Amino acid sequence: MVGSFIPKNKKEALDLKAKYTELIPYSGGTDLMVENRKNPSYLFLGKLNELKGIKKTDGKIEIGAETTFTEALESPIIPQMMKDALILIAAPAIRNTGTFAGNIGNGSAKADSALIEYGLDAVITVESVRGERNIPIEDFYLGRKHIDLNEDEIITKITIPDIHPDFYSYEKVGGRKALAISRIAFLGILEMESDKIKSISVSFGAVSEKIIRYKDVEKMLIGLTKEEAKAKKDEFVKAYEDRMQLTEGRVSADYRKKVTIKLLKEFLKNGGI
Amino acid sequence: MKDISKSVVRKDHEEKITGSCKYVADYDSKGVLIGKLVRSKKAHGKLIGINFPKMPNGYMSVTYEDVPGINEVHIVKDDTPVFAKDSVEYIGEPVAMIIGPDEKIVNELVKETELIIDELEPVLDILKSDTVFFDYEYTKGDHVKAFKEADKVYEETFSTGYQEQAYLETQGMMAEPEEDGKILVHGSMQCVYYVHNAVKKVLGSDDFHIRQDPTGGGFGGKEAWPSIVASEVAVAAYKAKKPVRLVFDRREDLEFTSKRHPSITHYRVAVKNGRVTAMDIDVKFNAGAYTTLSAVVLQRGLICADGVYNIPNLIVKGKALKTNTVPNGAYRGFGAPQTFFPVETIMSHIAQDMGKEPLEFKREHLVKQGDMTSTSGMYHFPVPLEDMIEEVAKASGFYEKRKKYSEKQSGRYRRGIGISMHFHGAGFTGAGERDLIKAVAKLKKHKDGTVEVLAANGEIGQGLRTTFPKIVAHELGIPLDRVYYNWPDTGKVPDSGPTVASRSLMVVGELMRRLAIKLKEIWKDGEEQIVEERFREPSFVIPFNLDIFQGDAYPTYAWGVQAVEIELDTLTGLMKNLGTWASFDVGTPADYNIVMGQMEGGLLQGLGYSSMEKMDYDKNGRIRNNNFSDYLIPTSMDVPNMNVQLHVEEYPDGPYGAKGAGELPLVGVPAAYVEAVSQALGGVRINHIPFTQEDAMKEIAKKDE
Amino acid sequence: MEKIKFKLNGKDEIFEGDLSSRLLDVLRDDFRLTGVKCGCKEGECGACAVLIDKKLVNSCMVAMGAIDGSEIISIEGFKETERFKVLDRAFAELSAVQCGFCTPGMVLAAEALLSENPHPTEEEVRIGISGNLCRCTGYNAIVNAILKASKEGNGLW
Repeated sequence: MVGSFIPKNKKEALDLKAKYTELIPYSGGTDLMVENRKNPSYLFLGKLNELKGIKKTDGKIEIGAETTFTEALESPIIPQMMKDALILIAAPAIRNTGTFAGNIGNGSAKADSALIEYGLDAVITVESVRGERNIPIEDFYLGRKHIDLNEDEIITKITIPDIHPDFYSYEKVGGRKALAISRIAFLGILEMESDKIKSISVSFGAVSEKIIRYKDVEKMLIGLTKEEAKAKKDEFVKAYEDRMQLTEGRVSADYRKKVTIKLLKEFLKNGGI
Repeated sequence: MKDISKSVVRKDHEEKITGSCKYVADYDSKGVLIGKLVRSKKAHGKLIGINFPKMPNGYMSVTYEDVPGINEVHIVKDDTPVFAKDSVEYIGEPVAMIIGPDEKIVNELVKETELIIDELEPVLDILKSDTVFFDYEYTKGDHVKAFKEADKVYEETFSTGYQEQAYLETQGMMAEPEEDGKILVHGSMQCVYYVHNAVKKVLGSDDFHIRQDPTGGGFGGKEAWPSIVASEVAVAAYKAKKPVRLVFDRREDLEFTSKRHPSITHYRVAVKNGRVTAMDIDVKFNAGAYTTLSAVVLQRGLICADGVYNIPNLIVKGKALKTNTVPNGAYRGFGAPQTFFPVETIMSHIAQDMGKEPLEFKREHLVKQGDMTSTSGMYHFPVPLEDMIEEVAKASGFYEKRKKYSEKQSGRYRRGIGISMHFHGAGFTGAGERDLIKAVAKLKKHKDGTVEVLAANGEIGQGLRTTFPKIVAHELGIPLDRVYYNWPDTGKVPDSGPTVASRSLMVVGELMRRLAIKLKEIWKDGEEQIVEERFREPSFVIPFNLDIFQGDAYPTYAWGVQAVEIELDTLTGLMKNLGTWASFDVGTPADYNIVMGQMEGGLLQGLGYSSMEKMDYDKNGRIRNNNFSDYLIPTSMDVPNMNVQLHVEEYPDGPYGAKGAGELPLVGVPAAYVEAVSQALGGVRINHIPFTQEDAMKEIAKKDE
Repeated sequence: MEKIKFKLNGKDEIFEGDLSSRLLDVLRDDFRLTGVKCGCKEGECGACAVLIDKKLVNSCMVAMGAIDGSEIISIEGFKETERFKVLDRAFAELSAVQCGFCTPGMVLAAEALLSENPHPTEEEVRIGISGNLCRCTGYNAIVNAILKASKEGNGLW
């Protein structure tokens, strides 16, 4: 046990993490404090201004990893679909402390902000004294509680595209209306170019070890008109039905399967497909 | 509104809102040993031995061998051991306690303690249990004949789940040796004398007293269980000769303390000429591993089993069965929610089968004043249900909504509204008040003219520290701040009975009124004066015989009508509460706000019980839902403001006409909730609670196919 | 071991213990601020809520290292304010306190809400206190008391 540290800036944080790799990055702490580890050594990152804040740069939105959910909700730059998810996280006290880094840092498929990041092809920036890596979120999540983060690295930034989709649908299914851990979460995004589907993004959270997104299935509809897509709708939905292996948890796998497919169909229907 | 009903600022308001109120966990830890329980990890087995780790200086273990008196916790029957001796009967059963100054070290020592258990096959399913703790049966009229002559017999099985009290303050107790050699046991509890009698048996002496600390909610969960916890700390403090405190963490409390009994009930109902003529009811309660309060909980459930209806012929049978799970016990409603849900629901189902609106059919069967009760006693007082139904129907727009939602609905969201009726028998079941409790209460007037209430009933949030003094001040005609009620201490107060069964205000509150009248008559300025009153059974009561369940089980009844409106999301099964309306008759409110607080709080607990509060154990008998993210209770966002009206039918033997109040508002909710959900689902039959989003989705999927 | 500085109920304090200690435990055990209640230690009930830099936070979910330079207000500090008096009166008049265990956290949740939104709707109040479980009241009286305080404390927030 090396003890905990409060670095004064990013450089000091990276130096400490390189020197003491066992340091646990402490962002919001809302998950760490529940884990209640024995004699933990934390690296407190929450007050490093270099790791906070939201800014827009050439078509992209950069979210500092230590930005809290409340800060993001107050930002005019954060896209509404992200806010839709953030406002349903737990309750005010948790949103005031919980951060973007913390939400993805524990590798949970239930992380509400991570689902939006999946749907938007977010890029996660991690840094160490050795330099920085930019990792597409789907590569960042390796498996349950397992992320692509080396022991000397910390998460510093999340970058999402500043897109304004023609249609999107976000749904969270919890056990109650507040203080609810997602049992199923869904994000569908549809972007059109003239009358053709430019992109379609379908992600499911909290239903499997990892967040589910099948880009190869999405391709099935890209470049089609909505009318053409309608003809392929059944095949499209069936691809998800066949492929998704959902886990048992607070609700059954069967329930999850039924609801995910219904939410997918509703998204397509409301999107005009 | 009567004068007495006008709300005052609660006497405990200031200390609670400023945070200065000291609950048991708030006492300074200096010099106090922290206790943690070593619990069985097996649901059933022979206890062969315990291997404790080497105890550091200042730390020690406590087991059954350290019990100076008898290793049994006195509850009703005394089968619950303080610490397991020869066998373990459920996961979490206390086998030993480790005490010491540092909580972290105590926790480590608990982890390192090894229990040697010869595992036995646990019984987890009540339908497979061959140990019947309690078995009752009673009849009314001639049920055999009625079933023989019936036009049609309806038959259905219902089930209800666990419900955890989920008081915000977990169980906690502290025992402190005092200078005079006595032990003071104080902590979170409803019933100081229950705890007193338990500790007496365990210590085998009278060298102790019990004091209630501010108690952060009870709801029945702190009726019997504190007797167990107090016994544990009393033994530990006796051994260590030092103060010992045991406070459960939330996981322990959710997993290892008593809950509402899960139930399976089977109803057969005979109908002739469009009227229900008989019911044949079979009730099974999962008692858990020890008897604790199951006998009395089951009795109340059985007595309520025919609901608010005049059913001339009845046969009611009930069993409390042993399983190797945590003992179940008291929870607000005390057995009644488990039978009001099925009786209300089967009445609705029969109506639907006959092509009638359930409410209309039910109204044709409502009891009225002078009718015979299920146990051949009498409804001695007016039954205001008809008026209350109209009050609720009007407030909720029930008739219009019910009609509208019964038409075919389309789209993602579908609505439903349901209504149900119930009563709650006020006070102890049967002759308990007269034969067992024999309440005694006193008032002590001090020389300075202040008056102290001497009674044993505990403030657990329901407002007794305010309402008792309020009654006394009202009757004496002195300001409320001249009358006070300290936290009861068995070294100082008489036994006015436990804080249970919605009895405190009705029974002990009436003693307060009579005491004040008595004191007023003899009042002499500047003198210390004490007056005493005892419970007297009202003369109209038809004596109750428990052996045959005949007579007045309760002197009077509180009545309830509630409507619930929901919106179902057919894609997810989520059910949104659009509104809850109720009318409750608890007689004259002793304080309008306090009574409304009880009604609203109880309603929401009832909504939770019906919908999201789901608790289960796994194949090993371990409860899965052991934290607040797995055992969900309603948050402020799960309901809009509930609309409650008070309907007042005065009870002549309660203070100013007050009846039992606390439990009533929870009891009837499930049937109204389920009826609403059923309507939103297009009329499907629902026979169990909680009815969750997953259950709703199963029904939706059936329709899809 | 690093030491941290913070402000607690208006007073400058220094903490020299283990930075991974739980703020809840430090407030209750070291500073004896027992108005900060422990209901679950898992961030699921809100009984231990305090204000950190004016925002509502569950003190069970905060390690001491995270509050270096912060200002902490617990019920013991908040009760000295004019805003408290308004909430106190509203809670008293509607008997919104029952068992009292959720109350300190609930009052601080109300303060956090009203300082961001002085005139909330019923729904906004319900969102504001959604992380504070109450098992006694059914929330009606609490919600109504906060709405009442928002009217009567006009200008204070």
